[in-house]
Amino acid sequence: MSRQLAFHVNAAVCTGCKACQVACKDKNNLEVGRLFRRVYDVDGGGWVERNGFMEPNVFAYSLSISCMHCQSPLCLEVCPTGATFKRADGIVMVNKDVCIGCRYCEWACPYGARQFNEATGQSSKCDFCADLLDKGEQPACVATCPQRALEIGELSELQAKYGATSQVYPLPEADLTQPSIVITPHPAMLLANANTARVAKPGEV
Amino acid sequence: MNVREWALVAFTILAQMSVGAFVVLGLVHAWAMQRYSPDKADQLSDRALLAIGPTLALGLLASLFHLGNPLFAYRAVFNLASSWLSREIALGSTFALLGALFAFLQWRKIGSFELRNVVALLAATVGLVLVYAMARVYMLPTQPAWNTWATPVSFFVTTFLLGTLAIGAAFVATYWWEWRGGRLQGSALAEMLRPVLRTLALAGIVLLGLEFVVAPLSVALMATGGAAASVGILTSQYGVMFALRLALVFLGAGVFGLWLYRTALRPGAETLLGRLAWTAFALVFVSEVLGRFLFYATHVKIGL
Amino acid sequence: MNEQGILKGPLSHDMSRRSFLKWSAVVGGTAALAGGGLKFGLQQANTAQAAAEGKWVTAICWHNCGGRCLLRAYVVDGVVQRLKTDDTHPDSVDYPQQRACARGRSQRMQVFSPDRLKYPMKRKNWAPGGGNKELRGKDEWVRISWDEALNLVAGEIKRIKEKYGNEAILAHGSEIGRALGLYGGYVTSWGSTSFGTWNDTGPKIGAFTAISKIGLTNPERADQNDRFDLRNSQLIVVWGGNPSWSGAGNPTYYYLAAKQAGAKIVFVDPYFNDSAKVLADDWIPIRPGTDHVMVLAMAYTLLKEDDPAKNPLIDWDFLNRCTVGFDKDHMPKGADAKENFKDYVLGTYDGLAKTPEWASEICGVAPDRIRAFAREIATTKRVALHAGYAPSRTNNADSWPQAFMTLGWMTGHVGQSGRMTGCSCRYNAANGGPELVHQGGEGLPAIQNPISATRLNNNELWEAVLSGKYTAGYQSVKPINVQLIYHGGASALNQKVGLAKGIAAHRKVEFVVTQHYFLNTSARYSDIVLPITTRWERFGDFGDGADRKREATFMGSQVSEPLYEAKDDMWIAREIGARLGLDPKAIEPFSAVQRVFNQIAGATVMKEDGTGYEKLVTITDADMAELNVTGKPQTGRLPIKEFRDKGFYQVRRYQGDKYGYIAHKAFRENPEANPLPTASGKFEIHCQPIADFIKKQGWTQIRPIPTYNRPIEGFEDTFKDWEKKVKGPYPLQLFTIHYPRRAHSNFDNVPWLREAFPQEFMMNPKDAAERGIQDGDIVKVTSPHGSVVRPVFLTERMMPGVTTLGQGAWVEIDEATGIDKAGNTNMLNGDIPTGQGHAGFNTCIVQVEKYDKPLAPDYKWPQRIVFPTGGGNV
Repeated sequence: MSRQLAFHVNAAVCTGCKACQVACKDKNNLEVGRLFRRVYDVDGGGWVERNGFMEPNVFAYSLSISCMHCQSPLCLEVCPTGATFKRADGIVMVNKDVCIGCRYCEWACPYGARQFNEATGQSSKCDFCADLLDKGEQPACVATCPQRALEIGELSELQAKYGATSQVYPLPEADLTQPSIVITPHPAMLLANANTARVAKPGEV
Repeated sequence: MNVREWALVAFTILAQMSVGAFVVLGLVHAWAMQRYSPDKADQLSDRALLAIGPTLALGLLASLFHLGNPLFAYRAVFNLASSWLSREIALGSTFALLGALFAFLQWRKIGSFELRNVVALLAATVGLVLVYAMARVYMLPTQPAWNTWATPVSFFVTTFLLGTLAIGAAFVATYWWEWRGGRLQGSALAEMLRPVLRTLALAGIVLLGLEFVVAPLSVALMATGGAAASVGILTSQYGVMFALRLALVFLGAGVFGLWLYRTALRPGAETLLGRLAWTAFALVFVSEVLGRFLFYATHVKIGL
Repeated sequence: MNEQGILKGPLSHDMSRRSFLKWSAVVGGTAALAGGGLKFGLQQANTAQAAAEGKWVTAICWHNCGGRCLLRAYVVDGVVQRLKTDDTHPDSVDYPQQRACARGRSQRMQVFSPDRLKYPMKRKNWAPGGGNKELRGKDEWVRISWDEALNLVAGEIKRIKEKYGNEAILAHGSEIGRALGLYGGYVTSWGSTSFGTWNDTGPKIGAFTAISKIGLTNPERADQNDRFDLRNSQLIVVWGGNPSWSGAGNPTYYYLAAKQAGAKIVFVDPYFNDSAKVLADDWIPIRPGTDHVMVLAMAYTLLKEDDPAKNPLIDWDFLNRCTVGFDKDHMPKGADAKENFKDYVLGTYDGLAKTPEWASEICGVAPDRIRAFAREIATTKRVALHAGYAPSRTNNADSWPQAFMTLGWMTGHVGQSGRMTGCSCRYNAANGGPELVHQGGEGLPAIQNPISATRLNNNELWEAVLSGKYTAGYQSVKPINVQLIYHGGASALNQKVGLAKGIAAHRKVEFVVTQHYFLNTSARYSDIVLPITTRWERFGDFGDGADRKREATFMGSQVSEPLYEAKDDMWIAREIGARLGLDPKAIEPFSAVQRVFNQIAGATVMKEDGTGYEKLVTITDADMAELNVTGKPQTGRLPIKEFRDKGFYQVRRYQGDKYGYIAHKAFRENPEANPLPTASGKFEIHCQPIADFIKKQGWTQIRPIPTYNRPIEGFEDTFKDWEKKVKGPYPLQLFTIHYPRRAHSNFDNVPWLREAFPQEFMMNPKDAAERGIQDGDIVKVTSPHGSVVRPVFLTERMMPGVTTLGQGAWVEIDEATGIDKAGNTNMLNGDIPTGQGHAGFNTCIVQVEKYDKPLAPDYKWPQRIVFPTGGGNV
């Protein structure tokens, strides 16, 4: 069986504090506007009147995601230069010696993982902190999460441990690219879909 | 829209116009040969042929502006195995080379007529496959507004509509050039111009009809194919522009096309003919540029 | 630098050779990351330094944020390349790593930010005496030398003291107080901000007080059981708290452990906050400043429904043994028997029964929910009642802590496993008990402020400067003539209520000086600005904040040499003191190295058996000789060198350890043998001392029992006519929160955090729809005290009728309109002194309207860079 590294995101415990997002920026020296890891705040529901009092029927959760290091990465398929490649451990990476910055991958990726580096004119993305992994350390986001909501591991092992959920609102259909992610859903995710919920403050991500 | 996407508008429009012009020119040339003579046909088409090269070159140059690292653009053909973008660039380059080769052979009359024909046919075929590849570039499963058959169909309509009217404009330009040079006397051009323009104007009207079927159909396809957000952007933010685009193409290919056709029925009125052919072309060109702008401005990706 | 050997620290290279050009490279990097000049940034600096071998050092995260976690910096040749947080031991729930939040993780963007103040500077149109004072806040800056700056500041201090006396000098924060104290003294400001009314009410009623047989306890930890025991609670009530924002780090994780152990968690809050999002099984939305009436109605429910035999809801045994003032039979000596809580709630004498129906009209919670909640708390065996500070940061809230505690006392949730009632806030949230490790003192002899009795309350501070009068006590108004404002630290202008008056006050006095590392609000409205070092540029740091964590302590290393011309606060105090004719040795009797050494030497750690403390570090004569410090050899857990090198110490906790804590256990078991430090020795539901204390302050009065005192600018004041329910000009309530972008005003300028947290104004879609406001619109928020504009975030998570905005934004006044574009809540919060002179941040009334001008997102705003890197001429 081929190896495929994956993230486990425990959305049930994520408060949306964005420590992961900023730790990622620190690790990767990302200027404002470039986010390899992003936190989506979702809310929905509303208020109902009961005996003259407004009572809430409100839900909210956060979802922290980065590149999904998909099993069928569309970005890799469409990349005209072959700069996008998959390591033996399943990490999708960009070869900086080859990428010409056509940004086609940005159109292809349904997770917004591909982020253009204006300074180099190339595509950039989460590389799973491959340099840290190679030294036996954890990715910056995982090591920083105050709620211990992030974890990495072999996809099949994470699935055996936490189930196979890889598609929750607002993520796209997993069939598109087969993302290497295992999500422990927040209970409110059962209620959320495009009709009942929305991504709050979309300008933030 | 930014510089990058305008570069793509320029590239796709100019490349498609080149392919369309090349193919239409070939058809007109074949018609002229049969009806008149190879020499007369050459008189009609050689100058127009020479205009196609720079147009394509301009398009290819524009495409570089959407790259972060244009100096290494050649790397874009490294992934023919799976990337339609690679194929597009490869096909575009091949079309350019074959077209240039043909133009050179035709200009210097090198090689046999058959050989030149084979090269031309090959170039035209590659050109048409190029248009198909260009469409496939956008037919990504994550781009519902683009991922429909309307994309290739509308690309081909653009190809032929612009090609047809561009060739019409090129012919009147050639005619005007020869007239200024005092070379019209005894030239077959005067003889061929009106029937050609009539045919081109008619073709334009037919293609316009097709465009008026495709344009609303593509919006309907977007609405049903998971790109409702794109329809929303089109109708709210860009409603006026969309209407303008349809009005311009109707005016250009329809009203001016019909006028051109009727004017070309009778002799004389050469100046008017020229103005009509160029106005029709210019109106449709602007309309197609707007259409392509809307194509890029309204796409909404699936996911995040 | 004189430090050698073991205290020389991890930066062993010769830093003196660093040039300004090098700083340009470093700071240029953060400029690039801020979105400025893109090509030449940290990327390049990194490449240049990639060859050099780096070192991980502990870098202190020093702000007053409610977290204070472990940061480690990777330093290569004096340049921080990246940060990480705690990976010093494997992470587990019982023995967790001390992980930092988004703010800490962006700390290098702050320290090496291009908007750091680089040189001393003065206002162009300033002259001794003030010059053109109206230009404060909008004048140009002129770079001056340190010598000139110190001479000017000392000259103005001297001139103003001689002309007006020491009472003309108002000073905030830092070591400059040592110089001013020796120079005859200075006026200070006072009033509880963080702790709300727990500050004075808490200890007087028997809560919020450092009581532990074992040793020191932060008062915030006194009434909570420790985090292991919290897992024994079946029901946890978080009342007005949001630990994930105001106690970043582990507190939310501790609550999560309790939830995973089976506790049901209920949040009482106007906003379905980010902690509730993860923790809450139930959410009771309540209007700000109305918590008190809800508790009274719950007490009413319990009194009405309690039947000791068939339906026991009230723990009469606990009330009778451990409290005074609940009913007429258990009154403290000398008290009027009619002044008891039970009769107040039932309305025996005032004719107003505090029924759920009565309360509902005010607090917005349906009567049946109030009843059900009261029953749930009373009938659940083990309950933790945790109050945040927010409900007490309201006008007239002096009796709220007493009311909240009374609910816990009535239901007996005190002093037993899984049962507790009290505050759960900041780094102390969800983890009570004495510190397991804490630092020693610096050993600096205190310098008395000879005029410390002259204090201006925060709620009258700027008004006093403007009007020349202040409240000095009951029926006592005294004159004051402030002519010099010295911002030695903190961020007083930005962070105190009544900001518009604050700016006017700053434009009235003769001289304003600020020490800071940024052109923050105080600095911007000053005449002279002195650049200071951050704690990363000083010799180590084991100071304030090192023991904020109950179980861990951090010792920061020097990360960088001082940037540009920045100096330490103590150096400035000494230099100004010398120019005032004071003895520099009296201001700084011994070196920073000695002070840090004293703190380390005095650090103690709880013994494994939990009976007391032992020294943390071992120190030998050789160590002290090497350090060039004086002290006594001692034996501790680990050698001082090892502690310095590691930079942290965390007590390993495990199931069955002896570090647990049950608050008030001994008292509950035998109150007579273990009396509380209150007048009666018991919990005081009738507390004459607090009523006397409030009266003494001179503004409002309260009764000894926790009656509801209608707040100024509370919900009732959103009505023009409360009886007829006619809404007034400010129909919405605003409460102001700790916002994750900042620690108070710190970090507000960090672009990464501006990108992550946009300082949005939050309101319910229903209130917005009534005003034609759509999500993302720019809105103008107006209170009786001022206006701000902000992008609006509409969310159903906000209770209708209520709005919120994060406190601490650096005010950005549009001079043409007087509107603040940054959304500083002190433009909206009025200067309203009530009760104990605490800040009533969460009682504020506003109107909201669509604003007709655009407003760029904060992260696109230019940074306040006075002199570009390397620029400026002397």
